[in-house]
Amino acid sequence: MKTNMRAALAGLATGTAMLAGMMSQAHAEDIKVGMLLPYSGVYAALGQDIDDAFALGLETFGADAGATFDIIREDDEVKPPVGLAKTKKLILQDEVDVMVGIVSSGVLGAIRDTVDGAGVPLIVANAGNDEATGEACSPYITRVSFSNHQVNTPMGQWMVGQGVKKVFTIAPDYAAGRQMIDAFTAAFTAAGGEVVGQEWPAFQKTQDFGPFLANAKASGADAVYVFFAGGEAISFVKQYDSFGLKADMPLYGSGFLTSSLYVNAEGPAAEGVITALHYVPTLDNPENAAFVAAFKEKTGRIPSEYAVHGYDAARALVEAVKSGATDRDTLAAALPKVAFTGPRGDLRIDPATNNIVQPIHVYETVAGPDGLTQKVLATLPAVADPVNGCQMPSVN
Amino acid sequence: MFTHTPLRLATLALLAAAALTYAAVAGFFGLEILAEIAILAILVIALDLVAGFGGMVSLCHGALLGVGAYAFTVAANDAGLTALPAMILAIALSTALAFVIGAVCARSTGIYFIMATLAFGQMAYSFVFQSPLYGGDDGLSGAPRPDLSALGIDLTDSRAFALYALLLVALAYAVAAATLRSGLGRSLVGLHHNEKRLRALGLTVWRAKATAFAISGALAGLAGCLAAQHTQYVSPGLLSWTVSGEALVVVILGGLGTLVGPILGAVLFVILKHEISALTPYWHAIVGLILIAVVMSRANGVFGFLETRLAARKPQPQVKEAKADA
Amino acid sequence: MTTDLGFWVLQTLNALQLSMLLFLLSVGLTVIFGLMHFVNLAHGSLYAFGAYVAATLSGTLGYWGGFLLAPLAVAVLGAGLYFSLIQSQRRAGPMAQVLVTFGLIFVAVDATRLVWGDLPIGIAIPSFLDGQIALLGVEYPIYRLFIIALGLAILALLTLVLTRTQVGAMIRAGVDNDRMAACLGINVERMFFLVFVVGCALAGLAGAVAAPVLSVTPDMGLQILIPTLIVIVIGGLGSLRGAVAGSLIFGFVQTFGAVLLPTLSSVLIYALLAAVLVTRPEGLLPAKG
Repeated sequence: MKTNMRAALAGLATGTAMLAGMMSQAHAEDIKVGMLLPYSGVYAALGQDIDDAFALGLETFGADAGATFDIIREDDEVKPPVGLAKTKKLILQDEVDVMVGIVSSGVLGAIRDTVDGAGVPLIVANAGNDEATGEACSPYITRVSFSNHQVNTPMGQWMVGQGVKKVFTIAPDYAAGRQMIDAFTAAFTAAGGEVVGQEWPAFQKTQDFGPFLANAKASGADAVYVFFAGGEAISFVKQYDSFGLKADMPLYGSGFLTSSLYVNAEGPAAEGVITALHYVPTLDNPENAAFVAAFKEKTGRIPSEYAVHGYDAARALVEAVKSGATDRDTLAAALPKVAFTGPRGDLRIDPATNNIVQPIHVYETVAGPDGLTQKVLATLPAVADPVNGCQMPSVN
Repeated sequence: MFTHTPLRLATLALLAAAALTYAAVAGFFGLEILAEIAILAILVIALDLVAGFGGMVSLCHGALLGVGAYAFTVAANDAGLTALPAMILAIALSTALAFVIGAVCARSTGIYFIMATLAFGQMAYSFVFQSPLYGGDDGLSGAPRPDLSALGIDLTDSRAFALYALLLVALAYAVAAATLRSGLGRSLVGLHHNEKRLRALGLTVWRAKATAFAISGALAGLAGCLAAQHTQYVSPGLLSWTVSGEALVVVILGGLGTLVGPILGAVLFVILKHEISALTPYWHAIVGLILIAVVMSRANGVFGFLETRLAARKPQPQVKEAKADA
Repeated sequence: MTTDLGFWVLQTLNALQLSMLLFLLSVGLTVIFGLMHFVNLAHGSLYAFGAYVAATLSGTLGYWGGFLLAPLAVAVLGAGLYFSLIQSQRRAGPMAQVLVTFGLIFVAVDATRLVWGDLPIGIAIPSFLDGQIALLGVEYPIYRLFIIALGLAILALLTLVLTRTQVGAMIRAGVDNDRMAACLGINVERMFFLVFVVGCALAGLAGAVAAPVLSVTPDMGLQILIPTLIVIVIGGLGSLRGAVAGSLIFGFVQTFGAVLLPTLSSVLIYALLAAVLVTRPEGLLPAKG
């Protein structure tokens, strides 16, 4: 009797569950999201920021999307072959509807053909190489983060406007370093400035920047413009200060140099450094205030520019789903059409390249009540990147 | 001396049967893993040939693999060669490079040999990493897969590619086994045990070592071509010394100087890596602990352990052989 | 620029600073090898551990607290390693040692990530070593001069211990021939332990002094490992003079190569290493013969 009862109850429970499942299917689409990020390796902290903020973005905006989002996470270890293998797994085995992530441009370069060939929409949440939305652009690849060109170009004109005439540049010798500095140099010289010298220390092999700083000092430049990120940025900023260069030659750079993620490890050496970036956590707008508060509550950290990429990637996905997209093809078509006002300001995607168009913020690192913070000096208007050889085929 | 004991033959047959069965039934990701195992297996066969039998513990095999992969990609992309001539060219280059490294390092032994090969490997790594010609840190894409459509085989298909990779493993194994059974192989093992004696017997030591190293380099280059064809993308990370270190780990895990053991090691390593990395991002630490445990156990890897166990149970004089010690 | 005397002075000081940092790291590694024939690839991880301990302690005890306690902490860790792994692997041959310590690197990197996280950590230069002083016509950071001075002081101290004390004589005898040393009644085991632990402490010290200049990251141990190995192989394994020579060669080639021949800089040092190994397989100043 008892067992019968139990069996009946179990049957009822199963039936209800199935019914519920059918009902939810009738109401909501289930979107499978393949998240490819470095969870280990040198960029693990970046991957974590993007991942946390993506989850937050789905919670914040996805409630009334009429869909459920199922995230499958894979670690690319910042190794292109690993990223490629994991991409194939996500696409062919897990059959995801959309992919999100990619921190390293090397990984993006490796998976580009696979994603494009399989027709799976990819929301790039960091990697900034110009080619991805230039000659290697794809209707399936939409970038919501930044491009190397975009972040550095506005500083060229702005610095000339501030009276800086002669600049010395330093950046690591790899593709991103070259692109960032070349973009800045072109804009700076076009505006009438002069680059008096350049140094390209070996990427990831240089811990001591002393030899290059000595050359910068001897160059007679008004200022130094650099790009460094992560551990190299910390070493560079500290060593720049320790050589006493900051007083005579102010330090400018691409904003990753003094990212909120690293700036407290740089300490007082970072004070007064002026850089430009597409996001800083101190931007004064209601969307950012809400984002910073929610992110802090969820993780206990202040959101970095990497976090905002994850947050806006989630927002872009939700907006695309709300516009009626349900599968690979419709998502790929809908993603480049999204536009919204987020923590960074007004964002849209340039249909010619599928790259984001966004304002750039010039900021100075200053001492605040709880350590270093960012004082926004100027917000430079959003300009779409040049097409750079992108010939965007249309989907469908 | 290298002999095919019944255990080795049985293991080989078992591995081949398992691989073929798996290739027939596996889903997409399984086939990717199979190809990954095949690439690693060829590399560790190459490494065991010199390290296990000749005592030449090399930390430049990753670089030799990478040189093969890059040469293949560049020859196919820029020189416009089709896959087969590009492969021949790439393998020739890693063979030549390995011969030079082997000849130069022939005078060094023990830790000096390890360090010298490390230096050459890192030199190649730095060169590729720094050269914008080869894409620098971002690597190069566009490596083609061989076109076997004349035979009715489409290598863009994962299953066909996995079978093709397995065929190359068999080829690499055959080359290594034949080398070891040849006069050169005997000299190599002899050199490892008593260099002075062989020198006294009139052997040109450096040439024997360099030739063995070159054959090993050819196999590493083959693994590189396969790696480039598999991912159709090459990056400097392939040449890194940690790749060589990992290959050495696999050789040890499987059983040094057994040729069959390292293949078993490759299977275990790749599966282990995927299983553990699915569980935790700290999988490197677990692999490290397993490695330490295996080396500390003093067994000669998984396969060496099996061999000694079996030999202890059934004492057979013909099983007893000159086993290269660690 | 290269005709300016200031350029040469500055770059020479930079080269010396790098050399001295590498010397602190390589001297322990090379003497351990000379004495025990043990290859410790995890030596770089000890350096990273020293940097992390210094960074952690500097928050509460100030820079000098970290500076003094980091070597101690690394020495304790080294002692633990000695009894758990090193002792049993001493006679196991270079291959087993390379592999066990290669495994240790994996464990160490992930352990630091677990304890200290993935984000780089930075620590400030102590206030009275902050700033620059004028020296031979150039302004040079005081902290970098402190590193040079510290390296020279440790070098002087080690030379004194090795040449003028009984312990030093025992170590030299052990490097020459450890069996003979044991026959002479020297407690070789205790000496091995002592040298290993002191070598670890020096690696920890190197980590602590490097921390304010560089950023403290989980992979810093792996990054410094290859330069350290190059130093000891160029110099000749097992010898103090070799470690000094190797460090200076590396420091100068690296520094001047980076500014004068930037395109060749990273290949240059490996080419030099290969050249040394071809002409003098035992290094420039080996301990024996």
